[in-house]
Amino acid sequence: MIKIENLEKVYKTEEVETTALNGINLHVAAGEFVSIMGPSGCGKSTLLNVMGLLDKPESGSYKFIDTELLTLNDRERSNFRKRNMGFVFQNFNLIDELTVFENIELPLIYNKIPAGERKRLVNEIIERMNIVNRSGHFPQQLSGGQQQRVAVARALVTKPKLVLADEPTGNLDSAHGNEVMELLCELNETGTTIVMVTHSSHDASFSNRIINLKDGHVISEKINKSRNEELI
Amino acid sequence: MFKLNLKIAWRNLWKNKGYTLINVLGLSIGMASCILIFIFIRYQMSFDEGFKDQDRIYRMVSSWDYSDGNQFYSQGVPIPITPAVRDDFSPYIEKVSAIQNSGGIVKVNDQHGKEKVKSIENVFYVEPDFFEIFNYKWLSGNYESLKEPNHAVLSKEMAKKFFGNWNDALGKTINYDGNLNYIITGIIDDVPENNSVPLRIMLSYKSLKDRNLNNWGSVSSASESYFKLKRGIKIETLSEPLRLFIKKYYTEKAPGKEGHIFQPLADIHYNERFGNFSGRIMPKKQLYGLMVIGLFLILTASINFINLATAQAVSRSKEVGVRKVMGSQRGQLVTQFLTETFIIVLISLLIASVLTEIALPSMQNLFNAKISFSFFQHPIILVFMFVLVVCVSLIAGFYPAVIMSGFNPALAIKNKISANTGGLGLRKVLVVVQFAITITLIIGTLVILQQMKFIREQPLGFNPTAIAMVDLPNDSLTVERFNRFKAQLKQLPGVEEVSFCRTAPSSQNNNGSSFAYNNSKDADFQVNAKNADEDFLKTFDLKLIAGRNLSKSDSTNEFIVNETLLKRLNVAKPADALGKMISLGGQKKPIVGVVQDFKNKSLHESIDPIIVCSRIERYYYAAVKLNAKQMMTTMKSVEQVWKSNFPEFVYNESFLNDDINNFYQGEKIMGTLFKVFAGTIIFISFIGLFGLISFVAAQRTKEVAIRKVLGASTIELVRMLNGSFLIMVFIANLVAWPLAYLFISKWLSGFAYRIDISIWPFALAMVISMAITLITVSIRSYKAAAANTIDALKYE
Ligand SMILES: Nc1ncnc2c1ncn2[C@@H]1O[C@H](COP(=O)(O)OP(=O)(O)O)[C@@H](O)[C@H]1O
Ligand SMILES: [Mg+2]
Repeated sequence: MIKIENLEKVYKTEEVETTALNGINLHVAAGEFVSIMGPSGCGKSTLLNVMGLLDKPESGSYKFIDTELLTLNDRERSNFRKRNMGFVFQNFNLIDELTVFENIELPLIYNKIPAGERKRLVNEIIERMNIVNRSGHFPQQLSGGQQQRVAVARALVTKPKLVLADEPTGNLDSAHGNEVMELLCELNETGTTIVMVTHSSHDASFSNRIINLKDGHVISEKINKSRNEELI
Repeated sequence: MFKLNLKIAWRNLWKNKGYTLINVLGLSIGMASCILIFIFIRYQMSFDEGFKDQDRIYRMVSSWDYSDGNQFYSQGVPIPITPAVRDDFSPYIEKVSAIQNSGGIVKVNDQHGKEKVKSIENVFYVEPDFFEIFNYKWLSGNYESLKEPNHAVLSKEMAKKFFGNWNDALGKTINYDGNLNYIITGIIDDVPENNSVPLRIMLSYKSLKDRNLNNWGSVSSASESYFKLKRGIKIETLSEPLRLFIKKYYTEKAPGKEGHIFQPLADIHYNERFGNFSGRIMPKKQLYGLMVIGLFLILTASINFINLATAQAVSRSKEVGVRKVMGSQRGQLVTQFLTETFIIVLISLLIASVLTEIALPSMQNLFNAKISFSFFQHPIILVFMFVLVVCVSLIAGFYPAVIMSGFNPALAIKNKISANTGGLGLRKVLVVVQFAITITLIIGTLVILQQMKFIREQPLGFNPTAIAMVDLPNDSLTVERFNRFKAQLKQLPGVEEVSFCRTAPSSQNNNGSSFAYNNSKDADFQVNAKNADEDFLKTFDLKLIAGRNLSKSDSTNEFIVNETLLKRLNVAKPADALGKMISLGGQKKPIVGVVQDFKNKSLHESIDPIIVCSRIERYYYAAVKLNAKQMMTTMKSVEQVWKSNFPEFVYNESFLNDDINNFYQGEKIMGTLFKVFAGTIIFISFIGLFGLISFVAAQRTKEVAIRKVLGASTIELVRMLNGSFLIMVFIANLVAWPLAYLFISKWLSGFAYRIDISIWPFALAMVISMAITLITVSIRSYKAAAANTIDALKYE
């Protein structure tokens, strides 16, 4: 589904140029669950942001089911993003001024889903996430695990083809972290493609394939047998 | 989407209550001032509007060029000019009409012949063609009858005043000026206040008896002439015929070269050179001044908004990031933030409307005008408010919206937007602009107040205190009673002096006459002749510097002149003028005294050459010098004595001091406006500053804490936080000085007697602005510097 070739991304500040991505090649098949690992500063978040069309690389190619995405203009990028992608962040990124329900509703509004339909979809996902009794609360009134579940719900509510998750468990204790990972697995089992950045090999063990980055290069790839066998 | 955006907007406003309050307060006060200014300007611009073919209506006015370079203008024309224009300009003009202003006593009798109304009224003698030029609304009757003498047309208000019900007025009679009865043959609807010709009582022009009916050499501001151009004729076409016209009719040699100007109706309310019958003139310059102040006000309030919004932008960065991740386009975000601004501006507008309503009565008082804040009457006000809201929303909201919507989503979601994104530099520039405006206004206000005080304390050359000017009816019958009346006045306890005169030493009523000095030909300038009796100098405390006072006489036997006259004649020593002859108005008499110069006009103008001489037929006032301790009771007795001497007339008095103060009505209004608006702008600027320092203090809490841990004292921290603000206000002072200098030197040049521009108002404005800045920021920065440091660090 995703074909990334020779991707390069350079950050220029006044003093230094940082090559965050240095010729990345990466293929992701539809329905796959890929983990990206590597030391801090190796370019994981940068790669994810480029895949999510939040950042533009200097050169390379990024094909999504045969569509070249890097030549799109701003408007096309945001349209593509809202129809096809969902995001989960380490620091949740919920809007403090909106309630749980309203936060989850937001991407549907951007996708111009009619109000009745929106209500149905949000309620459905809230039930699935087990946060029904929280729907009127504001983010600050929730625990970290609950906040991340809301964030996952928000990423899923549009039924995206691809979910991008940047250290989704980074700010959570292991119990809450596991809950989130299980959610992602369930999601993957229903056919959604997932790319996840993580530091934890425990989390990575939930995925089909693990990619190791270093200094903006892919240095190794590993098929996660246990999980694949499980699948079979 | 809109609903959700609204919710976010509302919750954000609520979360930052302090900033919201500052914005709403600043914007609503600024907008209220703008609305007030607009209402006032709209009222002023509505003068003489709404007549059919108003673009074709002109007034003929007069000018004189003197050989010494002076020019003189009058709203009036020689009375015979109107019939001459009717003949000579007939190819170009449709109608021309003379209109003569006069004042006197109107009496109305009831059906039994008993007097039921007696009052002093302003009347106009008009030709019927006047109503062909101006289409007033006729309630009954018509103007045909004005072709014949002894007919009158009344306004509804006057008809009601004289006859109770305007429907009853037609066919009744009024008596004007004692001898003539006029039959009412028409009623027009009241002419609104915003008209330069305040018609109320109109009499047949044919009934006008004036000794100047055929005199081309005399111009009175009471005789005006209006005409309507033929359709399709350009006014420039008339300049050549006018040249020939002037050549044809002005055959006698006069000191000034006569000229005439066709003044468009639309110019009459604004042109200071010429007066008009309503006495209301509003120079466009002043309206522009007000517009600029309005713009300043709204700019200052908008700057507050921009500064606080960009300062707060960081706190919205996460929201922006998340929205972009979810596919929001930049345009949508700009719209969202603009909508938020729009809502704040709309709330401010509501408050501004209330403030306007509250401030309106004092405004009406100040301008002495019936301005109203009514949408139904003037829907244009609604349009203005709409435009105001849109403009302010754009000015205040656009830049912050562009900044916030431009955040890079990848950075925003990681909370990596630095607090200074969105124009720290711009914020500084805006603060400087804002304070430059504020300081300019402070300096302007200080100078205006200083000049007003200077004028108040200017030696006038005479003493105007405790002098009542009482109208003196002057005709062949009343003149007989003058001696007895004066004697009776002098006997009243509390009356110190009495003088009968044409005007007070200082007056807005100044006439120029040609004269000749010492057997030479006519001087090339005119002299201002003041007719007064022998008590004039004593009553007004005027000082003789040579010769003696006038001796008692009813006619002109001798002259007193002022210093300026001698200077203009190049007579060095006052004593040299004594005994020299002056010819004036056919009288050739000697100079017996020289009076020290006194201010005979407002201090905008310099002193005229003046001649004082006796002439009883020209005494229109009794000047009564009172004992200051018992003025009110004495005036009652003066009124009684007056009424017993002139029972058929109406008593009228004024105090000279009030009359003189009235010369400076315009300046007083300017002074008040500046005080109020400068105060308003200072307030808006400083609450903005307070908001900004609050933001800076909050943003630097951690830095302050660390510095404190490392040993900085509270004072050092306050100084650190204040520093940049004091520098900004200082720079604003430097920017403001040349601006203010230009403005005040321009304003002061309109006064013949004026203060020298000194450094003091500038220095004072600097001290004031720096001191208020220091206080404003210190309140907040002290709080930040003295706060518990550990709390700030614990958050990490
Ligand atoms: N906005 C930026 N400006 C400059 N350098 C950046 C920026 N974002 C990331 N970098 C640099 O790019 C490299 C990769 O960063 P990132 O992708 O965030 O790493 P990580 O693998 O820890 O997520 C790092 O060296 C980082 O310092
Ligand atoms: Mg990272």
